[in-house]
This record gives sequence, structure tokens and C-alpha cells, in this order.
Amino acid sequence: MIMNGHPEARARRDYILEQKRGFGRRVIGVFPAYYPRELLLSMNILPVEIWDPPLESSHANAHLQSYICSVVKQGLELILQGKCRDLDAFLFPHTCDSIQNLASIVNDYLGIEKPCYFFYHPKAPYKESSRWYYIKQLEDLALRLEKQFGPLNHHEFKKKVEQGEDLRRTIGELYRRRAEGTLGLSNVEFYRILRQVEYLHPDDFLPVLTAILKRPPDRKSKGLAVIVSGILPNPPEVLEHLDRLGINVADDDFLSCSRRLLARPAISTVPFEAMADSYFGMQPCCTKGSAIEDRLKSILDKAKSSSAKGVIFQMVKFCEPELFDVPILVEGLKAEGLATLVIDTELNQGMSGQLVTRLEAFAEMIG
Amino acid sequence: MEFVVGIDVGSLSTDAVILGEEENILGYSIVGTGDSSTDAAREAMDSAAANAGVDMVRASLIISTGYGRAAVPGSGRQVTEIACHAAGAYHFFSDTELVIDIGGQDSKVIRVGKGGKVLDFAMNDKCAAGTGRFLEVMSAKLKIPLDQMGTFSLAARGEASISSVCTVFAESEVVSLVARNFPKEEIVKGLHRSVVNRVWAMTRQMSVKGGVTMTGGVAKNTGVVALMEERLGRKINVPAEPQIIGALGAALMALRHLKGAAAG
Repeated sequence: MIMNGHPEARARRDYILEQKRGFGRRVIGVFPAYYPRELLLSMNILPVEIWDPPLESSHANAHLQSYICSVVKQGLELILQGKCRDLDAFLFPHTCDSIQNLASIVNDYLGIEKPCYFFYHPKAPYKESSRWYYIKQLEDLALRLEKQFGPLNHHEFKKKVEQGEDLRRTIGELYRRRAEGTLGLSNVEFYRILRQVEYLHPDDFLPVLTAILKRPPDRKSKGLAVIVSGILPNPPEVLEHLDRLGINVADDDFLSCSRRLLARPAISTVPFEAMADSYFGMQPCCTKGSAIEDRLKSILDKAKSSSAKGVIFQMVKFCEPELFDVPILVEGLKAEGLATLVIDTELNQGMSGQLVTRLEAFAEMIG
Repeated sequence: MEFVVGIDVGSLSTDAVILGEEENILGYSIVGTGDSSTDAAREAMDSAAANAGVDMVRASLIISTGYGRAAVPGSGRQVTEIACHAAGAYHFFSDTELVIDIGGQDSKVIRVGKGGKVLDFAMNDKCAAGTGRFLEVMSAKLKIPLDQMGTFSLAARGEASISSVCTVFAESEVVSLVARNFPKEEIVKGLHRSVVNRVWAMTRQMSVKGGVTMTGGVAKNTGVVALMEERLGRKINVPAEPQIIGALGAALMALRHLKGAAAG
């Protein structure tokens, strides 16, 4: 699906093809960020998320304004370069205006012969009707998917929702061990493994995590601890450099990671209800319209529980929802005595000398 | 211990400072970085050593800083220029709470605490606007030597309005102003204003009440310093040789490191 020469991309493509051939699974390309994964899995659909394909952007510029985030640009580039041939459909959650517009470009103007599905989730502040609305959207999406992929098996749905709970619990344990400093994974390793959630079926992903957690606890890490925030951990060179500097990412507030992969345990055992429990039990997020005070408190709690000395905001350029929040978050964190660093980068473009200096100066400052 | 060396390899210049045990500057040098950071570092250290009358092989410790810090031969330790400028500025002006360093390819504002410790910093490294490189390009365009830009600016009766902060677009604006026979002095003042406004925006994030010290090559430009003072509404400290402050900070750190090690 993605660049043939890129090892991670090649691994994804091989995996997708194996899933199709070996398990008869259909594959949906899913744009960020919140979507009902368990619903798709229960219909034998493998969701493959499109966040940051490693492509040279050339075609997408003809359809998009210059000042648009690279997640959208790279996603469109992937489609325009004809690298989505293995996919059976696309799913566009209503994450932000840019992804909403991308959905419109792909569905209405490109003439792509693949079904496009849309998923609207409620935004904060939540009211009593928000939960009802969310469940209604889930049911509507299920009905639309059934037309292409066949009827929803409710027994299978229940099993997948339970598996989703198990996955969140396991990822939560992974985060807990990391914050404690006993996980024994470098920053690069942690996110390389965690990001496999973007395309691995939980039947394959859960054993990977379980095997890591079964290893004896590492000696407590003595490096400086920081929290990282932003949309996703890209470019990975930032993590590599933090590893080199002996700085441990003790927790994160990434949209692609903790904000959507962790949630309070569901109360209900009825699948649609349980999914609503999870959705409303996730961390505060700018793309869900959460109150800035809630997000600030969430980051402060993470910093406190992991004894982090500072917070690094790794921004995707032109990401509006995130850019509105960050100045207020920085102010609030500084007021609480936490050092902050804001860096913005293009996806997949490595690190400049200036960025290296920023990270090193930050390390010197908190050291 | 005889002496230590601090060396700052920047994008435009490479500066070296030889420091004696009592934090006294024995010699320094400023050379162009050119196309090789390593060669520039060697040249700067040899030149500074010659000025100080010492033999480089006897240096107790070399600490390097700046973008080319990893390319310095014999460097025992690397430190960012942010920490070095803070330490260097504090050495000369102990009331310093904010350092403004306008360098060749970026500008930085650094909030400084007691002893010259970095408390916070902001950097503009997105483009050449608001940097020494911007002024260098404009000086070539206007055929005014870089070291006379300040004098031109201070002699201006009025001020041209430069709306763009991008070097490329600002150059087009300058061409258009020249075509309209706008006085050069007023164009230069307008250019300085655009640099100052850009850097001033970063200083606002720091909310500092104490002393402000300017370092880096652009601090030699009296026109920029005057406009910055006007914008900040206070007097700015400028070291006698602002260009070596990063290297001096590195040398001070080398000295403290050795003294710390000796004290156990």
C-alpha cells in the first residue's frame, strides 16, 4: 500500500495481503482519529490507519492549500499515487475541518471507485443526548457497512468489544510500567511497537504486548523523565535523539496514542453501550472539543505521577485544533513549574540542526 | 591547569576564547566559518592561541558549542549555544535576566536565572528573517557595508515600512523602495525595525523585568540595538565584543567543569 522501499510500509503491505489471503478479511483505510474499531473487526474488516505515509508529496498539492497539515496532505498523496489498491473502502471520522474537507475531495471530486464511509462522533461539552447520538452514529455506520460487507454478527461483535477492552487494559499496563520506569524499552522501541496498533489485528497485536509485559521488570530507569504531547510521534528521529540524550518519555498525550488508546473500563456489557462507555471515558482531546482545563489537568496528572520535569509538544504544522490549545497549555504548565518545549516539524522529514539544538538545550535546562 | 578553550562554530562565524584560571580572557578570535566547520574551528583556535601566546596542545579542556559543535577537533564536551550565551552574558552583566542573541541563521531569547542558568528559551529558526543573514543579504543589496548599517539607521530622518518578514519578499520590497529613490537610511531603519519586531515577539513570551543583554554579531549593529531598546522601553547591555559571548560561555563552562572535578 505504501512506498515499496520503506521497511515499515513494506511490512504493512505484506501483512494486509496476508490478512486478505489467509483470513478473507476486507481492509478499510481509516483516517485519524476516533472510530469504532471493534465494530469493523467484528465484520471481519481490518482497519488500517492512514496517519503519515512516508511519501514525497507531489500530487496532493494540486488539490490542497499550502497551509494544511501533513497528515491530510500525505493521506491524499497516498490515494493519488495509487497506493491504496489493496483497500476495499475508506473511513473518514469527523476529526477536524481538514479531514472533513479531505473526505469531500476523495468522495465527491476524485472519482475514486471505492466506497467512502463517514463517522461523526459527538464533541464536548457533552450533554445527555451526546451518548444517544454516539450510539445512533454507531448503529447507522453498522447499517451502511452491512450493505458492502454483510450482516453484523452480534455474537462476534460482543467478543470484539471484549477484546477491545482487553487491549486497552494491556496498553494501560504498558503505559503504567513505562511511567514507573521499569518497562525496559527505549523511546523508539516503545512507539515502534505501539504504532503497530494502526494495522495489526488485535489477535496478533495483543500477544506482542503481553510478551513484553511478561518480561521481568527492568531496573528503574535513572534518566530524566518528560511527557510528550502532539498528534503523533513523527519524525521518529526526535525519539531517537531523546534516547541519545538519556531522556525517557514517561507518558504521552499524543492523539494517535494515549488519547484514544486508553480509556476508563466500560461499565456496560452491551456492545454499543460499552463502546459509548469507552468513547466518553477517553482522555481530553482538542479534536473532541474538550475543555482546555481538562486537558491541562490530564497532562499535569501525567507529569506528577511520572515525576516528569517537562513537556515537549511535538506539533504537526498547521494542525489547527492542536495549535489553539498549545499556547494555553504551555502557560498553564509553566505556571505549575514544568519546563516546556514546542517544536513543529514536517512529517517524515527528520531533524534539522536547529531542532537538535532545541532538544539539547531543553535537556540541559531540565537536567 | 593553564587555560581552557571555548569555541562557538556558527553558520557565519567561528569564535574561540582562551580563558585563564581566574576567568580572565587571554585571547580570542573570530573567523569566517566558510565551507568546513572543522577547518574553521582549527583556524579560530590557532588564531586565539596565538593572540593569547599559548600553545593549544596545553589546553586543559575544550568545550564546543554552536551548530558545528560536533565537528570541533579535540572537543572534550559539547554544550548548546543557548546555555553558553546565557553563561557568557551573565559573566559580564550579572543583572541579566534575558539574553537576546541574534545570530547568523537564527535568533534566540533566553530567560536567565541566578548564575546564568537557563530557565526558558525561544528560538526563531524557521527562516532567515530576523537574523544576521537577513541583514547581510540586505546590506549587499543596498551596497552598504554590514558594519555601517547601524550608522545609516541612526541617521535616518524617517523610516520605510517593510511589511514582509521574509528575506526573499523583503528584498523585493527593498528593490521597489530603491526604485522610488527612497533614502537608504530610511530603508535600513525599516529593515532593522522588521528584525526587531520579530525578535521582540519572542521576548514577550518570557515576561522578564530585569536586565536585558544582547549578544551575537547583530548586537554590534547600533541601529538594531537602539530600536530594540525603544521597543522594550529599557536600556540593553551590550558586551564590548558581543560576537564571542557564546565561545566565552563555553570556556566558562570548561573552567567550572574542571574546578568541579578537582573539588571532587
